[in-house]
Amino acid sequence: MSESFECGDTGALVAYVYDECEPEVREVITAHAARCASCAAEIEGLGWTHQQLGAWMPPLAEVGFRMSVPSFERSLPWWRAPLPAWAQAAAAVLVFGAGLSIGLARGSGVDQAASSQPSLVTAGDAASRSDLARMEQRLKNEMAQLRTAASAARIPEAPLAARAGSGGATMQEVQALVEQSEERQRREFTLRSVELVRDVETQRRVDLASVRETLGQIQGVTGAEVRQQREAIDQINNYLIRVSQQGR
Amino acid sequence: MARTDEELVALSRSGDVDSFNQLIVRWERPIYALAYRVLGHEEDARDVCQDTFLRAYRALPGFKGQAKFSSWLYRIALNLCRDWMRRRRRTPVVQIPEGVDPAELQSEAGAVESIEDLVGRRELNAIVEHAMRSLSEDQRTAIILKEYHGLTFQEIADMQGCPLSTVKTRLYQGLSQLRRQLECHGRGVPELVKRT
Repeated sequence: MSESFECGDTGALVAYVYDECEPEVREVITAHAARCASCAAEIEGLGWTHQQLGAWMPPLAEVGFRMSVPSFERSLPWWRAPLPAWAQAAAAVLVFGAGLSIGLARGSGVDQAASSQPSLVTAGDAASRSDLARMEQRLKNEMAQLRTAASAARIPEAPLAARAGSGGATMQEVQALVEQSEERQRREFTLRSVELVRDVETQRRVDLASVRETLGQIQGVTGAEVRQQREAIDQINNYLIRVSQQGR
Repeated sequence: MARTDEELVALSRSGDVDSFNQLIVRWERPIYALAYRVLGHEEDARDVCQDTFLRAYRALPGFKGQAKFSSWLYRIALNLCRDWMRRRRRTPVVQIPEGVDPAELQSEAGAVESIEDLVGRRELNAIVEHAMRSLSEDQRTAIILKEYHGLTFQEIADMQGCPLSTVKTRLYQGLSQLRRQLECHGRGVPELVKRT
């Protein structure tokens, strides 16, 4: 800050109040305030406000926040303390590599063992061949039986085969069957249609009858009411006539 | 002999949690007070205080010591306060407790204070809190950092990311507005000031 001070320099006045200006500037401002009422008032007002702000106290609160590390990590000796991540990763790679090499070594050993046991496999093959021969023989016998049964069953099919020889006759038979089927379907359709029409007609008649009955009831009620009203009117007329005659 | 902040920071950076806890013990009250004065809410201030130390602990490896540790903490706390207000969209309203707890006030102010003084001080406390609401965030932060945490103009300028002259202007305007507010609330300015 320069040693010069201009009247009304609020920044310098603030620095003066907070005692954050050079001693020379402070002297200049003090001397200026002694003869400048405006600057003196500013300094007094800022100082007073600064003093009042000291009253603002935040509530007492126990924050009580502490960083912590698990206690076992501190108490454990170095050989029992958990390894860092890189060491764990290295150990995992080591174990995996060892496992892989053991596996590869075992795999080659199995191949060697397999090549050194040809007689056992041959024995197994020989045993299965005799089984297969027995099974083949049995299957042949069963097939022969089946063939015999099939030829016996084919005997009644012979007339059909004879008939199939003449294609025209078969076609006629098929056509006749189709015509019969169509005729039957037509009859059934007609029958169903007639039944449907009959049911609709019956229902219509029933509905009409019920409507007429309801209307009749309504008309009957209405007629009775009209009759009653007419009787009442007649009575009133008679009464009026009587009264008028008596008045004369 | 107590270690300095710098020594404790160096130890903390090498993994000594106890040293960092000593820093917490040393700075938790100022950080809480700063957060409370900015946010005006006890619970939020406590949360911000904890977050400040957590962030500081995580960021400790990146703290090169260019600034003072306290300034660095204040900066973290103020950023958190700003985020907090933005997130909650809460205007900084200061909580004024309903009842007076004479025992608490007594322990806070000392045994020699009379009941009248206690009540008067509490009243002034409430008035100042209320007056602080009328300031802008920048003015309020500058005044809080200057009045209650004793930061220099330059430190406040660094923290607020503005020129030194701006800090002085904010302080002057904020103090002037506070003065008017205090006058409105019946806190008389001394006669000397009024006359002049």
